[in-house]
Amino acid sequence: MTEDEKIAALFADHQRSPDEAFVARIARAVEAERRMAAMRAAAWRRFAVECVASVAVVASFWLVWRLAPASLPTGAIATAPAAAAAVLTLGLWFGVVLRPAATGK
Amino acid sequence: MDHDAILARKAAAGDTAAFTILVRGHEGAVRRFLGRLSRQQGSDDLAQETFLRAWRRASDYRGEGTYRGWLMRIAWTVFLDTRRAAGRREEREAAIPAHDVAHDPNQSLDLQRALALLGTRERAAALLCFGEGCSHGEAAEIMGLPLGTLKSILARARAALVERLEN
Repeated sequence: MTEDEKIAALFADHQRSPDEAFVARIARAVEAERRMAAMRAAAWRRFAVECVASVAVVASFWLVWRLAPASLPTGAIATAPAAAAAVLTLGLWFGVVLRPAATGK
Repeated sequence: MDHDAILARKAAAGDTAAFTILVRGHEGAVRRFLGRLSRQQGSDDLAQETFLRAWRRASDYRGEGTYRGWLMRIAWTVFLDTRRAAGRREEREAAIPAHDVAHDPNQSLDLQRALALLGTRERAAALLCFGEGCSHGEAAEIMGLPLGTLKSILARARAALVERLEN
C-alpha cells in the first residue's frame, strides 16, 4: 500500500443517505428567514409611504403659507411659518399614533 | 447547465423547494467537512449557517465551478468567521493533545488523531483534497489562496499525515 493509498483510506467515508431531520431543520430556518425578509420589506415600504405622506403634508402647509392672503385668519402662519407647519405636522403625527386603527395596534 | 445550477437558479428566484433539494444533496459533504474541521464543536450550527448564507446569497452563484465547491467556500468562510468571533479558541485547540480529542463515532480514531496534528489551514486543505476529492485548484479557490500556497500547505499536511501513519 502506497502512502497516498494509506492517506486515502484514512479519509475514506461510507456514503450515507441524506439526514432528513437536518434537511427539515434547514427548511424551517429558510422559511423563517423568508418570512422575516418579507416583513422587513413591508416595514420599509410602510416607512417610505409615511415619509412621502409627511413630505406632502409639509409641502401643502408651505403652499398654504405662500398662497394665503395676509388678511385671512391664517395670516398667523405667515408670521412664523416654520413653527406653524411643525406644530400642525406634530398634531397630525399625534393623531395617527394615538388612533389605534390607523397603526393596526 | 448542470442540475445543481438549474436548482440554484430557482433558489435564487425564491424557490424554497429547489433549495431543499440542494440541501439534501450536499448536507453530507458540508457537515463532514465542517465536522472534521471543527472537531465536531458546533458543526451542525456551522452547517446551518452555511446553508442560510447560501440561501441569502443564492443569486451570487453564477454557475462557475461546482455548486458544492461554492458551498464549501461559504462553509470555510463561516468556520473562519466563527473562529474569529470565538477569539482565542484556536490557541486552546492547539493545546489539546492528539490523544485527548473527543471521540466522534462518525470518524475513525486514526483520522481524528491525524487531523489533530494539523493546523487549521493544513486540516482544511487535507480534508478538501484527500477527503472530498477536490482538485488543488478547487481547494485553492475554496480557501481563497493562491495555488502555490495551497500546494505547499497540502505538502506539509501530507508529510504530517505520513509521519502519523508510520508511527
